Amino acid sequence: MKIKNYFLLGLFFISTIVMAQERQVTGTLTDSDGLPLIGVNIIIENTSRGTQSDFDGNYSIMASQGEVLVYSFVGFSTVRRTVGTESTINVQLLPDETLDEVIVVGYGTQSKRKVTDNIASISSDQINNIPVSNMQSSLVGKAAGVQITQINGKVEGGVKMRIRGIASISSSQEPLYVIDGMPLINDDESTTVAPINPLISLNPNDIESIEILKDASSAAIYGARGTNGVVLITTKSGRAGKTKVSVNTSTGWSRATNKLEWLNAEEYIELFTEASTNSYGAEDTWLTEEGGYFDFMANGLDWRNGAVDTDWQDYALVDGAVQDHTVSISGGDAKTLFFLSGGYNRTEAIVRGNDLERYSIRTNIDHNVSDKFKVGFNAGASKTQISRIGTDNSFSTPLQAVAQSPLSPAFLENGIPNNDSTIYYNFLMQAYNGDWDADIFRVLLNSYLQYQILPSLSFRTELGYDNNNQTEEYFSGSLTQSASTNGYADANAVQSDKYNISNYFNYNTTFNQDFDLDVVVGMNFEESARKNQFVAGTGFPSDDLQTVASASEITSGTSTRTKYNFLSYFGRATFSLYDKYLFKGSLRYDGSSRFGADNRYGFFPAASAGWIISEEDFLKDSGTLSLLKLRGSWGETGNAGIGNFASLGLFGGRAYNQRSALAPVQLANPELKWEKTQQVDIGLDFGFLNNRISGEVDYYIKKTNDLLLNQPIPGTSGFTSITRNVGSLTNRGFEFVLNTRNVSTEDFTWNTNFNLSTLDNEVTSLPGGDIVQGLNIVREGETISSFYIVEYAGVDPANGNALFYRNTLNADGTRDRTTTSSYGQAERVIMGSPYPELMAGFTNNLTFMNFDLSFTFQGEWGASLYNSGGKFQSGNARYEDNQTRDQLNRWQNPGDITNVPQARMYQTNGQQDSSRYLEESDFIRLRNLTFGYTLPLSVTERFKVDRLRVYFTGVNLLTFTDYSGYDPESTYDDLGNSNIQRGITFYSAPPAKTFTIGLNIEL
Amino acid sequence: MKKYLNFKLLFSFLAIGFIACDDNLDVEPEQNLSPEVATESPANIKTILNNIYGEARQGVSYGGGIGMAAELLANAGDLSWNGTFVQPGEYNEKALLADNSFVRDIWLNAYEINNQANIVLENLDVFDDEDDRATTEGEAKFLRGLAYFDLVRLFAKPYVAGQANTQLAVPIILDAVLDASVITYPARNTVDEVYALVINDLTDAYEMLPESNGYFADKYTAQALLARVYLQRGEFAKARDAANDVIENSGAELAASFADAFNNNENSSEDLLAMQVTSQDASGNSWNLYWAGRDFGGRVGNPDVSILEPHYAKYDDENDDRANFFYTTSRGVATTKWQYQFGNIPVIRLAEMYLIRAEANERLGTEVGATPLEDINMLRARANASLYTSVNLETILMERQRELAFEGFALFDAKRLGRNIGDISFNDDRLVLPIPLREMDANPNLVQNPGY
Repeated sequence: MKIKNYFLLGLFFISTIVMAQERQVTGTLTDSDGLPLIGVNIIIENTSRGTQSDFDGNYSIMASQGEVLVYSFVGFSTVRRTVGTESTINVQLLPDETLDEVIVVGYGTQSKRKVTDNIASISSDQINNIPVSNMQSSLVGKAAGVQITQINGKVEGGVKMRIRGIASISSSQEPLYVIDGMPLINDDESTTVAPINPLISLNPNDIESIEILKDASSAAIYGARGTNGVVLITTKSGRAGKTKVSVNTSTGWSRATNKLEWLNAEEYIELFTEASTNSYGAEDTWLTEEGGYFDFMANGLDWRNGAVDTDWQDYALVDGAVQDHTVSISGGDAKTLFFLSGGYNRTEAIVRGNDLERYSIRTNIDHNVSDKFKVGFNAGASKTQISRIGTDNSFSTPLQAVAQSPLSPAFLENGIPNNDSTIYYNFLMQAYNGDWDADIFRVLLNSYLQYQILPSLSFRTELGYDNNNQTEEYFSGSLTQSASTNGYADANAVQSDKYNISNYFNYNTTFNQDFDLDVVVGMNFEESARKNQFVAGTGFPSDDLQTVASASEITSGTSTRTKYNFLSYFGRATFSLYDKYLFKGSLRYDGSSRFGADNRYGFFPAASAGWIISEEDFLKDSGTLSLLKLRGSWGETGNAGIGNFASLGLFGGRAYNQRSALAPVQLANPELKWEKTQQVDIGLDFGFLNNRISGEVDYYIKKTNDLLLNQPIPGTSGFTSITRNVGSLTNRGFEFVLNTRNVSTEDFTWNTNFNLSTLDNEVTSLPGGDIVQGLNIVREGETISSFYIVEYAGVDPANGNALFYRNTLNADGTRDRTTTSSYGQAERVIMGSPYPELMAGFTNNLTFMNFDLSFTFQGEWGASLYNSGGKFQSGNARYEDNQTRDQLNRWQNPGDITNVPQARMYQTNGQQDSSRYLEESDFIRLRNLTFGYTLPLSVTERFKVDRLRVYFTGVNLLTFTDYSGYDPESTYDDLGNSNIQRGITFYSAPPAKTFTIGLNIEL
Repeated sequence: MKKYLNFKLLFSFLAIGFIACDDNLDVEPEQNLSPEVATESPANIKTILNNIYGEARQGVSYGGGIGMAAELLANAGDLSWNGTFVQPGEYNEKALLADNSFVRDIWLNAYEINNQANIVLENLDVFDDEDDRATTEGEAKFLRGLAYFDLVRLFAKPYVAGQANTQLAVPIILDAVLDASVITYPARNTVDEVYALVINDLTDAYEMLPESNGYFADKYTAQALLARVYLQRGEFAKARDAANDVIENSGAELAASFADAFNNNENSSEDLLAMQVTSQDASGNSWNLYWAGRDFGGRVGNPDVSILEPHYAKYDDENDDRANFFYTTSRGVATTKWQYQFGNIPVIRLAEMYLIRAEANERLGTEVGATPLEDINMLRARANASLYTSVNLETILMERQRELAFEGFALFDAKRLGRNIGDISFNDDRLVLPIPLREMDANPNLVQNPGY
């Protein structure tokens, strides 16, 4: 690719000719508040003479009597004045109320009124000031049909965004993120199975708007990657006029949304002594005797007299803190617009030892070289530093401390974490004698050149570059779990980069007012490359020397390179007739290196139509109905979220005793092709009473065929799975959006947005049969990832045995509902799914005088959550682990009616995976609440401040749920990247409840 | 004119954009070879063969997984499971579930070994050198035989000598799988069929392998494994002769002291087969992980498998080095056999051959190679234990327990000797591993073992 050619375009030179003039006309241009408007274009109609207003809003131009001055400014109504005899013409420009709301679509923008697709549009004021460190979490509850869940309470944790359900079983379920036209790198580069959110490096305060392309017709322009929806992020740009300085600064603290109740020392002694008695008889006093196990735990402290009672949960879940500061400067004139920002975020998690710091800058510049030729450059750079902690399935992760006995002190007398007498490795040692940091450097560059070839034809070329550079360094010292090797350290570095070139023409014409045609035709090439280096070593001379350089032995090292490409051609035509009949068609032709040579390219067509019924004569004059639009769309999208070489048979390098070895690692499947999704969407947009009440109703059916499926195969083949195009699944749902302006007076306004969506996911065909992974199943006729487990039947009152329903199939198709205490005789059945069937968001914005209040409630219903740690945490004292307090309600005597079986130490009694640990996870959450006060302008003016607002914001302030575990949304980060094993929690930290106080200053 | 120029520039630029990128869709993997390249030369085939040893060394099987299954399933009080993992706990409780992932991994790993052996065996025609070819074939067959021998011992009801053994064992797959079109959904073969394959493979290996072959399998490695197989089947004469062949001809010698036989960076003089472990593959040593104290690389159970009082009663001389081959930790007693995290893992030691020869000679009333008393005293002398003046079958089997404790023999000895484990009969369903649930889910032609 000869990038140099771009710069040839920079040589374009368009001259402007200034003609002679007759008389000087001067004046001042102001807005409705009387503030000067800078950079307003003033031209004399039908000539090429013109000027602009200066920094004080003043202008002067030579004009002759009778000529017409045209004052135009972006966002304002154009004003015409005929020059008379006066020499001063002052004009007040008013905001253009007739301007249609414009939304961003792939490769262009469109008037919202004419959109025939389902696109959720979220503006910056809905997401700014929400003190979350990642962009996605600020969107929760704001868009119908979009589920956004952060895996758990670790600050860097991955975020799942699921748009209109789950459209794939084995390939990516993540939407495509596009920032200012550039598809983003969205690969988790964590060195562990616990994902790091790849978008953590974006500063949410730099975002102007987010458009979520939900239906196929809007997403199909992104063809092979549109199936999971597309999230278009537009960063802020300057506005012509006075240079604006904004400061947003906030600071606050956070704590866990929920803590659980655990046994204290006295209760622990009681329950475990009983459990041991039940297993070994009262005469076996191995726990309580002098020198017994409790003495070991207490490490010399007098546990018999209450000298030790450690609350391990309090060591794990701590108070967090957040700080966010963003300063931006923006402005410009008619030729150049700019936006500069710098941001700093520090988030200390509610889990000990986990925090994040992010520094970011952004520069966006748009420049009109001439009235035909426009260039722009957006650059964002950020550095994110994360202090990491172990995955949920590691003893070094804080929350696993809840398993420790309350009889074990957390620290020794010398202040060093107690690792001598804890049941498990003490996580506090990790902070004391270890370190784990991730650094992410991210650079995003976008540039464009746009040339207006003809009034109706423009050409735009975009060059984007995304670089994600991530390093992780880990050290664990001689007192940690790496004691046997006298310390361990590793370092991992990943360099991912992607460049993206798009060239497209846009043809836009109107024939005699009635017929609007807009055509986009172009191509896109994208190359993504990734390099990775890793080295690890053991044996350190001192715990103060923590880099691999000091290791006595290098024990592991690797480096890899890989890349993939996309080459695409696309076209889209939109036309409207009489402003009420709307049509759109698009086609994308995508090729990817990821597919076999025979199936490399795929076609992705889409079409949609709309009818603005309210424009028809019979409704046009209706006083109550302001908008009624019926729309329908159909489209086909793809999913290419599979491995880079998934169709090839592969051997990979290994070693045995430091001699090279070759292992078969992947079976060949040259027939592998695109996974395709067809989606139909029918929608109705409505508005009543001058749009005081407006909304949308949509119903969609989304069918995915030729699923790219990692199909399990018999292990007797030497392999466990193969990627095949088999099976299909369907998502269907109903989406309802209602926006109302309840009160709209000068002093008091109250707006409400409500959205509700349903989701029905069904696997419709799975020729290879069930796929069972852990406790989740993919089965024909069921929701993907449904729970597939043995059904718990409570406790036998006679003997305290755990009971299970047999659930074996009877001849007549019913299930045997008799119970058994023998787990092996009980059959697994489908019990619920990890995905909600109903989601809703409810946002209110109120202003009263100078006060403003906004809050969002969000709820999900119909999902279940399985606690994989339940067998240890709430397992009637089977293991030595401390228990949740509800285990005190165990069976003790014949006739006891309870759900907790008899406590039997080291003997299994109900701890097997069963519905005992499965719970519905419905919840409603006060997701965020902001209360602000803006000082009157008359006060702030004295300090040359245009706006000064103080505010309080809270996140996750209230949660209403019957779920008894840590949190209905927290899941197991070891499975963070699993598509099938969903809805599992395992010592997963709850999210943070955050309180901040902030200040907005605009100069 | 200017406008024309602009167009020209624009279109020429676009043309570059459209054409220049087309070839870029061909991207080759940089970390992987295609199957064609991987199997095209003798050097590559031998590299695949080398990987089979690497597969076998994995923690889930010969790195300790199989041994732990055999020891914990046969545990009737000598051991306690202190670890946090549920799966070995199920072995210890004799309450296995079909979804036990340790069991699953033993199965999957065995068939990885099998498939890679099959790949090697199907591509032998690339060899020009006959010796090279024979050695490669012999090693592949040895490794395949080893894998099936442990599969049949773990996943099927015990072999009963002197009758047809038609009880179900595991599927036999002899065709290499390298692409999707050759995946099969096999049913289980019988115990007799699997043993026939094992004996056939090991006999071939014995014929083909050289007298010595570094730390890879040689002629006597195959013979030693055959001795173990025959003993398991109660074919004492064959077991005796095979063991005798190894003792007399392999050149292996008992290590100078008992301690010298373990925790070695290089194979000891008595190792007939040992899995090679270096500091670069710590995870390959599950023996260490579960049986060593925390300070030596073991897991949090410290040690996960702790040795209990009843075991010490097996030693009849307090000066016996083996009776003192333990160390205490804060939470129990660990065997010293697996103390070194990066030590090689003995799979077949010469000591076992002396025990097989002694037992077989005793049972048959023969003195091939040496008398049972001589063989037993040989081991006792090495361990500084007092020498016996006479032995019988019982003392020989007792000596076997002392010598081979915690090396993965307990379950298989119990089954061949018909010894119950606590109150669980030696042929109880609970002592047979379940066909892994994922395998049952993926292959409709498999029949589950009774009791699961």
